Amino acid sequence: MREQKNIILFGDGSFGKQLYKQLVYAAYNIKAVSTKDGAAQFELGDDIYIHKINIKKNDDILSLGIDPEKDLLYCAMQKTANNLFLVLTLKTLFADAKIISISNSFESTRKLEYAGTDSVIDLYEATSRRVVNILTKPAVRRALDEIVYKQNNLKMAEIEIPKESFLDGVFINNIDFKSFGVILIAIIDIELGHELIFTDHRMNNKLDAGDVLVVVAKIDALKKFKDTIATTKK
Amino acid sequence: MITVILFSVTILVIDVKDHIPAWLDDIDLYFVTTVFVIEYFLRMWIYSDIHKIIIEEYEESQFFDKKVSSFRLIAKIFKNKWGYISSLSAIIDLIAIIPSYRGLRVLRVLILFRAFKMLRYTKSLTGFLYVLKNKKFELMTLVALSAFFIFIAGIMLYVFEGNNKNPNIHNLFDTFYWALITMSTVGYGDIAPVTPEGKIVTILIIIMGIGLISFVTSIIVSSFNERLEVLREDRVIQEIGKKNSITVLCGYGLLGRLVAQGLQKESVEFVVIDKDEELATLAYNQGYHAICTDATNGQVFQDLGIENRISHVLCLTSDDVQNTFIAVNIKSLNKNVHVTARCSDEEIAQKMKFAHVDQVIMPEEVAGMMGAVYAGEPVAFKVLLSIIEEKEKTQIDEITVIGNSFLDGKTIGAVNFDKFRLILLGVFKNGSADTLGEFIFNPQDDFVINAGDNLVCIGYVSAVANLKRRMQ
Repeated sequence: MREQKNIILFGDGSFGKQLYKQLVYAAYNIKAVSTKDGAAQFELGDDIYIHKINIKKNDDILSLGIDPEKDLLYCAMQKTANNLFLVLTLKTLFADAKIISISNSFESTRKLEYAGTDSVIDLYEATSRRVVNILTKPAVRRALDEIVYKQNNLKMAEIEIPKESFLDGVFINNIDFKSFGVILIAIIDIELGHELIFTDHRMNNKLDAGDVLVVVAKIDALKKFKDTIATTKK
Repeated sequence: MITVILFSVTILVIDVKDHIPAWLDDIDLYFVTTVFVIEYFLRMWIYSDIHKIIIEEYEESQFFDKKVSSFRLIAKIFKNKWGYISSLSAIIDLIAIIPSYRGLRVLRVLILFRAFKMLRYTKSLTGFLYVLKNKKFELMTLVALSAFFIFIAGIMLYVFEGNNKNPNIHNLFDTFYWALITMSTVGYGDIAPVTPEGKIVTILIIIMGIGLISFVTSIIVSSFNERLEVLREDRVIQEIGKKNSITVLCGYGLLGRLVAQGLQKESVEFVVIDKDEELATLAYNQGYHAICTDATNGQVFQDLGIENRISHVLCLTSDDVQNTFIAVNIKSLNKNVHVTARCSDEEIAQKMKFAHVDQVIMPEEVAGMMGAVYAGEPVAFKVLLSIIEEKEKTQIDEITVIGNSFLDGKTIGAVNFDKFRLILLGVFKNGSADTLGEFIFNPQDDFVINAGDNLVCIGYVSAVANLKRRMQ
């Protein structure tokens, strides 16, 4: 559904390193950027070039050649102050850019959202849920590991219904998702706005071109389903 | 026991002036005394293990080919038990039994020793005695100083007013008595100075007295403050001692606080340990069981019941090395305790795994993976975040199939999860929390569910609760 985007990762320390590792694993085109002062180590291996900039200088940031239409910007600096400053700078220079930040507390999340971050990943919030699940919901923890945290066969994905697809104009209850090997979790029905609707509500929405389906499936089944949606016309 | 003691003391006090019914007196004489005697002998019995002495004596006699000497054996046992008999608490226990001899009126005063017995059962009272014991040197110095002032002031007043100038002073003892009463600021007024010199001595001794009393108060208060943490720890251990299974959360930083909230929400019994007094106090003030101590020390875990009570330990300090240290400490005490440790460094994570840490959690890795999901699919990321952070009504949960419930033996198709407003993600076949089998994703309609299977579902909290209720 989406065009392949480039990623510009502003990072340092373990935040940047881990994010780079996961993004590379997911095979994205990444440009790694770090600060010139080198306060926190950001080593990604000898063969990976890291752009060193001064985040206080607009020229340095502009020299990266950011295209807000095509590039996703990740702010993963260890210090919240640096992250915050970076978000403000990026939003000033590229108002339409999509920015994702990593935060380490509820307080930082609030500030980063105020500064204009489109999405904030609170690393302690997610980790704490994972720790609690280890104790109280081991099966949930394992299932999430399979779907999200382990790089394996299962995947949660979103699919935009293309025009003229066989799903265009069809009611949800009339489609046997199971036969495709996928589980439909949620949809965005653009007729009703951009709100996320979980399918456990059992609302029999009519699907249209442009609606987004969020599904969990095995990678093969997912690929097949995407192909079917794109190629099978109504 | 406290009730029995209070009952007994009340009876004996009432009996001093008023007549009490004979049956009540009998209860006091036979029942209470029997309880105290049994308690005395039980305490003596469990004080030390005499089996060892008997076996040693027997083996020795076998070795030397001679008969076991009963006298020698009894003497050895008595010597062994003498440690208990001669202890202060045992002496109090013994004296507390004596008032049962009603014939000896004078022994009635010993009823107070029954009240002393309460010290055994109330930790706060023993705590006060500990405070006095800990500050023994300071308090003894003050007593010596007070005695010195009383001695000097007494002699001075005797010199100034002892020669018939003050009709209330007959001897040196009177002036010492006056000095003590004045210095303690009690001031009965039965003896008062009459000469200007005597009045000057009085002024000086009153000032000294106020100073000494303030000093004593500050010593006791500061000592109590020092002991407050220990008393709190004792109370936590006492309360935790009533639970069957507890989780220990080491480190009350940002992550520790969020995990504590999650555990409380899921009704998990847990205790927080942090060596930082401020953080331990914060946890305590937020209503959690909290102990301020170093989790790398084994004693606190032994006190909390590492052998049979602690099921999980979460090492969540911000220091990887510290977390490793705590994890090794736990595993060396009991390798069956499930340990989860936080780590930011991959090399240290490997060492943790080598030390048999059951789960190593890397917050940066978790955030990195979520970041990777976002890069591809922002809407899927939103769904994921909503599910993981449990901020919406729709959540992910697990349901363990109970034997003979309506789910046991049914096929997925027959159950029809749609009817329950649930999305079935998959099933873990018949396994315990630690030994979950393979995750069977999106099972087909003919898949049979059996008791012990764990179903992972997405749905409203109430929908999950409804299915669980139906199973029962």
